[in-house]
Amino acid sequence: MKGTAAILLAGGVGSRLNILVRHRAKPAVPFGGIYRIIDFTLSNIGNSSMTSVAVLTQYKPLSLMDHIGDGASWDMSGRSRSVKIFPPKTGEEDWDWYRGTADAVRQNISFVESAKGNEIMILSGDHVYRMDYRDMVAFHREKGARVTIATLPVPWEDTHQFGTAIIDNDSRIVEWEEKSPRAKSNLASMGIYVFDRQYLISLLTESKEDDFGHHIIPQALQEKVVYAYAFDGYWRDVGTVQAYWDANMDLLDPASGIDPEMWGTMTNINAGGSICDRPPVSAAGRARIKRSLISPGCTIEGRVENSVLSPGVVVKKGASVRNSIIMHDCIIGEAVEIERAIIDKEVSIGRDTAVGIGDAGIANREHPKHLYSGLTVIGKRTVIPDRISIGTNCIIDPMLDESAFPKEVKSGSSVTRPKP
Amino acid sequence: MAQVLAMILAGGRVGELDVLTFFRPKSVLPYGGLYRVIDFPMSNLMHSDIENVGILSQYRPFELISHIANGEPWDMTGRQRRAVILPPFQGRGSSDWYQGTADAVYQNTDFIRMNDPELVIVLSGDHIYRMDYRTLIEFHREKKADLTVAFTRVSPLKDSSRFGLAAIEDEDPRGGKVTEYREKPKNSNLEWASLTIYVFKTELLIAALNDNATHASHEFGRDIIPMLLKKHRVYGYKHTGYWGYTRTIEEYYRTSMDILGYRPKVDIRSWEIRTNMANDGIRDRKPAFVGASARLKDTFFYAGCSIEGTVRNSILFPGVSVEKGAVVEDSILFFDSTVKAGARAKRTIADSACTIGAHADVGGPGDKLTVIGMGTDVPENVRIAGGVTVHPKLKPGAFTKPRYKAGEVIQ
Repeated sequence: MKGTAAILLAGGVGSRLNILVRHRAKPAVPFGGIYRIIDFTLSNIGNSSMTSVAVLTQYKPLSLMDHIGDGASWDMSGRSRSVKIFPPKTGEEDWDWYRGTADAVRQNISFVESAKGNEIMILSGDHVYRMDYRDMVAFHREKGARVTIATLPVPWEDTHQFGTAIIDNDSRIVEWEEKSPRAKSNLASMGIYVFDRQYLISLLTESKEDDFGHHIIPQALQEKVVYAYAFDGYWRDVGTVQAYWDANMDLLDPASGIDPEMWGTMTNINAGGSICDRPPVSAAGRARIKRSLISPGCTIEGRVENSVLSPGVVVKKGASVRNSIIMHDCIIGEAVEIERAIIDKEVSIGRDTAVGIGDAGIANREHPKHLYSGLTVIGKRTVIPDRISIGTNCIIDPMLDESAFPKEVKSGSSVTRPKP
Repeated sequence: MAQVLAMILAGGRVGELDVLTFFRPKSVLPYGGLYRVIDFPMSNLMHSDIENVGILSQYRPFELISHIANGEPWDMTGRQRRAVILPPFQGRGSSDWYQGTADAVYQNTDFIRMNDPELVIVLSGDHIYRMDYRTLIEFHREKKADLTVAFTRVSPLKDSSRFGLAAIEDEDPRGGKVTEYREKPKNSNLEWASLTIYVFKTELLIAALNDNATHASHEFGRDIIPMLLKKHRVYGYKHTGYWGYTRTIEEYYRTSMDILGYRPKVDIRSWEIRTNMANDGIRDRKPAFVGASARLKDTFFYAGCSIEGTVRNSILFPGVSVEKGAVVEDSILFFDSTVKAGARAKRTIADSACTIGAHADVGGPGDKLTVIGMGTDVPENVRIAGGVTVHPKLKPGAFTKPRYKAGEVIQ
C-alpha cells in the first residue's frame, strides 16, 4: 500500500449540523470526547500504511488545518510520508471554488498525475468507521476493476440519502441510483472509492461534470468496470444533529460496535498549543459518574450520566449532566441541570440554570428539520447567566454574552446574536 | 536563557524503592496519574526558559530514553534548544561508570564546554516541586554568588539525618550566605535542608570538579559544597513552595497522595506540567469509561481507564481497569493494571500491567504499604496483607500459599 495515494475530500459544509459548523468544517467537528470526525479517516489512512494524502478543503478550514498540522499525529510525516492540504486556488481564468467532489479532484489533477502506484483512493472526511483500505485495494485488483466503491446495506427508509448500487453475482455494479426516493437496492455507497489512477485522469479530463455520484460513476458504469466492495462494520454519517448525538451515545454502549481505541484511532492532542498536558480527571467530593466517557483534564464534583465529556470540562457540585455531549473546557456551574444537550467548546453556564428541560414535542421554529427530538445545541464560547431556563429543541448561538438571554428560553426557540 | 545549561542527575535506582525500580531509574517513576517524576524538573526548566539540558543516567536507561525522546514534549528541539541523555562512556584508560553525582557531571565536562554557558544549574530528577529557576538565578547573580544552593526548611533533629543541612544568614527574605553545611549529620539543629539544586558559575564548577576528581568520593553534597564553602561565595536560596520526596516507598506514597483531595498540596491543575504523551501510547487512548455501577470518590484517573467498581482516594494511570464489584482504596495503580471483579486493593501500589485476580484481597488494613512489581499476575482469591512486597513478572503459579503476612516477600 505504500504506493497508493489518497485524496481526502474535507470540504463539506455539513450545514445540517447547524451551529456546530458555524466556525468549522464538518470534518473538524469534535467527536467522542477527544477526536474530530476526520480522525477516523486519517487514522484509517495511517493504519493502512498509506504514505501520501492530499486533503482538499474549502469551507472554514482553519481549525482543520490546525488539527492536521504536519500529519505527525497519524504518523504521516517524515521524508517519505506526507499530508498536504490543498485549498481551492485561483485558476487561470476565474475564481475556482470546488463545484463538487469530482471538480475538487479535477482541480488538483496534478496530485493524481504525480502520485505513485496504479490506484488512487478518494475518501471523505465526514464519516465514523474503521476500514483497512488495503483490503479494499486488494479486492479492486483481484476483480480487475477500474473503479471500486465501498458499500454497505442501509435501512430501506434511508436509501434516498445515498447513492445505491445493484450488483451481479461477481459484485460488479450493474445499475446505480443516486439519492433515489424509490431505490431498488439498499446497498449504499460510503463515499469511498478506489480508482485506477490513469482511468481517473481520463474520466476527469474527458468529462466536465462536477460530482462523482451523479456524473462520473454512471459514466464508468457504462463501461462495466465498477465493483462494489462490501463493508459490514460500524459506519455512520454523522451529518445531522440527531445522527451526531446518536453516534456519540453509541460510544457508551459496548455492543454498538464503535471502539476508537481498539480501532487505533489517532488524534492530534496538541492542536491549539496548550502550555501543558491535560492533567488527570479529578472526581472529587460528591462526584457521581455513571455510564459516561470522561476525557483528561475534567474536574467532576457533580453528577454525570450517559454523557460524553471532552477534555477540561468542569462540572461543579450539585450540577447534573445527563444524556449530553459537552465539549472542551465548558464550565457547568453549581446546581445546573442539563438534559439532552450538545454544548460546543468553552461555554460557561451560570449556577442554578436549567438546559434542555421541558416539552420535547416542539421542534425548533427556525430549523425544524435540524432539531425535533428534544436536543438543545449551544454554540461555542457562549456565556449563559445564572438562574435561567432553556428548553428543548433550542439553538443558542455561539459567542453570546449573558445580556442576550431572557429569563426563559422556551422549547423550540433560538437565541441569536442581535443584528447590528 | 541560552547562557544557562541544566544538568539533571537522573541517575540510579534507589534500593529503597525496591521493586518499583527493578526495571527503571527512579527519575521515570510514574507519578500523579499521568506523569513521570522527571517531568517536574523538565517542565520547570521549560517554564524558566532554560532549553538546553543534559540528562545523566546510567541505570536501565531505556524507559528514560523513550520518555525524554528528542526533548520535543518540553519544546526542547530546534536550533537553539535540546535535551540529550548523557550515558557513561568508556574513557581511554578505564571503564568509567559514574562514581557519584559530581563524577557524573565531571565526566561530561566536554558537554558543558561545548555549550559554553555562563551558569550551570544542576538538578536531581527525583523530586516533585514547582520552581521558577529564573528567580533562583536572579538571586544568584544579584548576590554575585559563586554557588547557590536551594534549601527548604525542615524540623531540626526530626528529619535531619537524611539531608544535607545548612545554616543560612538572614540577609534577605530570599536567602543569604551559607555559614555552615553538614551532609547527613547524626544530630543537628540546622534547619535548612538542601534540595540538591545548584547554580554554579561554569568555570568554578569545572575547577571544583577537576579538583575533586583526584579524591576518593565524588558527591556534590558531601564533597563539593564543603570544599567551596571555605573560599567562595556560597549562597542559600530559601524555597517556600511544596517539596516532595520520592526516595522511599513511604515518601513516594505520601508525595503521591498530596495530589488528591480538596485544596491539595500539589495543585497539579495550576502547575502546568508536561509529559511525553507519546510514551505508553497515552495520546491514543480513548476517554475514560465510567460504567453504570462505578462509585468514585476523591480519585484521579486518566484516558484509557475503564471503571465499573468502587474507587476511593486513589490514583489510576492510563489504561487501568477496575471491574464490577472491585474496591480500590488509598491505592496507586500504574499503567494498564487490572483489578478483577470482586477483588480488593487497599494501600497498594501496583506497577504497570499488573492483574489482581478476582476476589483477591490485597493490602491494608494496617499502615504498611503493599507493593506489586511490574507485570505480576496476582491469582484469584489470594489474601495478601499490608506490608508485603511482590516481585515483578510473577505468574499465578508463583503464589504457593492462600495467605501472605506483613513483611513477606513473594518472588
